[in-house]
Amino acid sequence: MNDDSGGVSDPDEATATREGSTEPNIEGDPGPPDAKGDVTDPGAVRSDDAPVDGGAAMPVDEESRALTPLSIPYRSVRRGASIAFTLLFFVVSGSSVIGGAVGQLVGLALIGLTIVALIAYEVSYWRRYEYALTADTFDIRSGVFRRRNREIPVDRIQNVDISRNLVQRLLGIAAVDLETAGGGATEAAVRYVTFEEAKRLQRSLAARKRSVGEGATTDSETTAAPAADILFDLTPRELALVGIFSFDVRAPGLLLFVGYGVVSAGRAGLPISLPGGEATLVLAAVALVLLVAFLSWAVGAVAAVLNYYDFRLTRVDEELQYERGLLRRYDGSIPLDKVQTLTVDDPLKRRFGYASLLVETAGYGAGSSDDRGSQAAVPIASRERVLALVDDLEDVAIGDLERPPKRVRRRYAARYLIAIAVLTGLGVAAERLLVGDPVWVGPLVLVPLVPVAAHLKWRHRGYALADDHVITRNGVLRRQTKLVPYYRVQTVIDSRTPFQRRWSLGTVTADTAGSLSLTGADAAAADVDDETAARLREILVDRLYESLDRRHRDRRIAPPGADGWSGGDEGDEGGRRTVRASDDRRGTDAAAED
Amino acid sequence: MSLGTSVDPDLQRLDPRVRTVWVLKSALAAALLGGGMFAVNRVVDVLPWYTPLVLGGLIIVVGVTFAVLRYRAWGYEVRNDGIYLERGVLTQVRTVVPFVRIQHVDSSRSPVERLAGLATTVVYTAGSRGADVTVPGLTPVRADDLRERLKQLAIRSEGEDAV
Repeated sequence: MNDDSGGVSDPDEATATREGSTEPNIEGDPGPPDAKGDVTDPGAVRSDDAPVDGGAAMPVDEESRALTPLSIPYRSVRRGASIAFTLLFFVVSGSSVIGGAVGQLVGLALIGLTIVALIAYEVSYWRRYEYALTADTFDIRSGVFRRRNREIPVDRIQNVDISRNLVQRLLGIAAVDLETAGGGATEAAVRYVTFEEAKRLQRSLAARKRSVGEGATTDSETTAAPAADILFDLTPRELALVGIFSFDVRAPGLLLFVGYGVVSAGRAGLPISLPGGEATLVLAAVALVLLVAFLSWAVGAVAAVLNYYDFRLTRVDEELQYERGLLRRYDGSIPLDKVQTLTVDDPLKRRFGYASLLVETAGYGAGSSDDRGSQAAVPIASRERVLALVDDLEDVAIGDLERPPKRVRRRYAARYLIAIAVLTGLGVAAERLLVGDPVWVGPLVLVPLVPVAAHLKWRHRGYALADDHVITRNGVLRRQTKLVPYYRVQTVIDSRTPFQRRWSLGTVTADTAGSLSLTGADAAAADVDDETAARLREILVDRLYESLDRRHRDRRIAPPGADGWSGGDEGDEGGRRTVRASDDRRGTDAAAED
Repeated sequence: MSLGTSVDPDLQRLDPRVRTVWVLKSALAAALLGGGMFAVNRVVDVLPWYTPLVLGGLIIVVGVTFAVLRYRAWGYEVRNDGIYLERGVLTQVRTVVPFVRIQHVDSSRSPVERLAGLATTVVYTAGSRGADVTVPGLTPVRADDLRERLKQLAIRSEGEDAV
């Protein structure tokens, strides 16, 4: 939603910089009909150049700050580009309707008016936009037409993400997104501040979060960058591997769709039958499939390399920070005490001894198009390295997992056989009604594979109850091992489908506030024995309470932050209402922030 | 494949009138779908005239069956560590919501429920499957009591630890 793709703005680069140089003119321009222009100039009060001062040793209320003035031209051009298309259509159609010089004049006037209105809007947006870090909140006052004051408690902030596309990097500006657990959208999308200011915000927010959590100021409250501990960086070899293992699953559908369009458009002039008959047709089909596969892979590979170029994961006190990206650069922070789930993902890579790690927090919005929540992790590394990192972060090792009872293999085999039977049935129907070829033979070829597939499915499924975590594993081609700290369990769901009941099986799901789980990939001990399911259900809740108790005691006895985990946790996923907005966030200006 | 297994007798049951609510809902759906189909059929006239009736009847029959089975499968219990729910006709689902995880509790009454003199209590968590935790078919008094009780338990558990 807040994803301004670099691709759109790249052509505007030249314009953006040119506009940037004329920026003071725009500000002083009396042209924009800014009704409140005569009110005391806010620019005088606010420091826009965002000094990276070494002061602010205590979490005191800071003065309000404004966005960088560069955001005006940048935003104007960005928005202008998106409006231009729509407008162009109207102008073209309008001038053709009115016709001649008059039509063109009207068109030009329309364009001019729009540009003026646009710039006026962006100038007043900049003037109205103020943010401030107070002792325990991050406040934003914004809005041109619809005013909004928003206060976000610092200890409820889950992630602080900085992103800069190519143009923004040239201009030295950055977009900052603050995520809390509440709601779907990004809670604070600061568009745009200087990169230094963005980094300063990220640091101060982390420092304040600590001091709020501990209820007292500690020596860690310094604005100077604390010691960064590099946990992980991606070697060029690994980056190449990320590319190789990335297959864009969305691409085949898209390519086939486009391909179909092209083919059906071009078929008008082509004879239906190809020379050489069926053999050629089959060959063409195979070639097409290969081509689509290759292109999807290429798309995925390029995207992955662009995404993960120069990936680095560092640990700064109680926070994970990552940097990545070639064209568009991301700097994100994940407080360790907000981690909901760790997922070790090792589908194909497992064959080669590699795995990837996903870190989930409750911060990223449900169904948001960008899956930064999952990308804030290690894209690929040797399995040992990933497991070592898991151990480092959560102090847990993935040992042997308890597999489901062996009888589930028969169930899986039955399931696959039913699927094959259905396919064969369809094939028979197709033979009778359509093609006349025995296409039903195809699915039957798979029958010998059924026992193997069933066995593999069973083998790669399991759960374990570690000291502080429940570990679950599912999937053969997409194997994922999930680690959920007991104290992150929200609800425990034990479900049994009619088929599972026939085999006396059940699936126990540990629901967390993690955002990825909205896609249904919750940590689940699948197909465990009936009684095990009932037992697990109780154990998980018991361990949740034990774990909470222990953390509570630890916090009272030991100074917080003594171990890697117990740094100020009072602010938690804490609910859906952590953002106090005096306004509907779907208002005019929320839309304007896109 | 055993359908309509009965709930553990130790659990709290829903009010029997909840079946009426469910049946009324399916009747409503049947009326809407049948009516819509009837209207479409008037215009296009491709299906036999009785199709809407058959469809509506089918929905109601399935609705009644499911209402009965669902009532039989539904049960809940306020335990000392959380609220436990058991429900589901085809897929049986048992959920435990620990009190510490309760974010807020609602009781609500839809028009159909008001007609039947019933209410629903909804428990919200920060989990991603919050919608799962709904207790329908309570008398208004019972719904309010449950809400109050859960609220108290949530507050008390939060006093122990605010996670």
